[in-house]
Amino acid sequence: MKFQYTLEVLTLIAIVTFCALFLYTSSTMTGAEFAGSDNVGSGLIAKLSGTPIENFSPLIPQWQPPSGEIEACLFALQAAVGGILVGGVFGFWMGQKKKA
Amino acid sequence: MVRCVVDCCPALPCAGNIPVEKSSCSRPGSTPLLGVTGGFIFILSSLKLPSVTGSCSHPTGTGLSTISFGPWITAVVCAIVLLFQSLFLAHGGLSVLGANIVSMGIVGPLVGYAIYRLLRDTSVNIYITVFLVTALADMFTYVTTSLELALAYPAETGGFASSFIMFMGIFAVTQIPLAIVEGIVLALVFKYIVALKPDILIRLKVFSEDKINAARSENS
Repeated sequence: MKFQYTLEVLTLIAIVTFCALFLYTSSTMTGAEFAGSDNVGSGLIAKLSGTPIENFSPLIPQWQPPSGEIEACLFALQAAVGGILVGGVFGFWMGQKKKA
Repeated sequence: MVRCVVDCCPALPCAGNIPVEKSSCSRPGSTPLLGVTGGFIFILSSLKLPSVTGSCSHPTGTGLSTISFGPWITAVVCAIVLLFQSLFLAHGGLSVLGANIVSMGIVGPLVGYAIYRLLRDTSVNIYITVFLVTALADMFTYVTTSLELALAYPAETGGFASSFIMFMGIFAVTQIPLAIVEGIVLALVFKYIVALKPDILIRLKVFSEDKINAARSENS
């Protein structure tokens, strides 16, 4: 019988390697803050344009989540919507297959 | 202001495409697949993951949708996700929405689609195709972001090119490990779609019937 879980094993290896890589960088790299690359990019923009970061403001007024917690909540909500879609459809397909 | 308008221009064809997409979505039975592929864009673009550069970034998840429905529907789904993020999360914003749609919704998926068309009718394994499309659509999203920012903020010494290299160092390098993991994970998801609903993929002519059946017999 042919081994049928090659992709599953590869995915597992990739995720474990990814986590190991994170643990390695976070413990050896000095000054690794794990801020968003967008924030690092904003820093570079400020440097290149010679304008301090606080002086930048969006052209169209922008609502900002009042705190990190609220932002995390909304991000979780976004992921949850995706998760419901994916889980719901896969469940529906499995049910269809079982019935057929 | 001018820059914002210019940024939005390439995103216009995507808005004009919505009626066209509706007709191609209305192929019976393909809506659940749209839900799955769109769902992955929602999930993956909300996961900010740490990377080797000591900063975090998020994958895009546009590969599956690009393969199944082409780049234009993907652009519409991305526009929805990006609108949500700019309205409620201050992640991006309305003024840069156009630029974000171009990089995540148009250029990334277009690059992915080009690779898919190149490999579709060759003997390359379909999971390798999915991996390459997903990983490169993700990578090129961030290459485009770097390009957009370099065009907007050329360095004083070295101009556009040196600024592009600096932005690539921030965005694209951070993205490499994420793109690889995203590619492998979505290839696995595609395996389950092939196992559960090969008929939708055949009907949408995502891959030829022979190739799908070959992939199925390999896995069962």
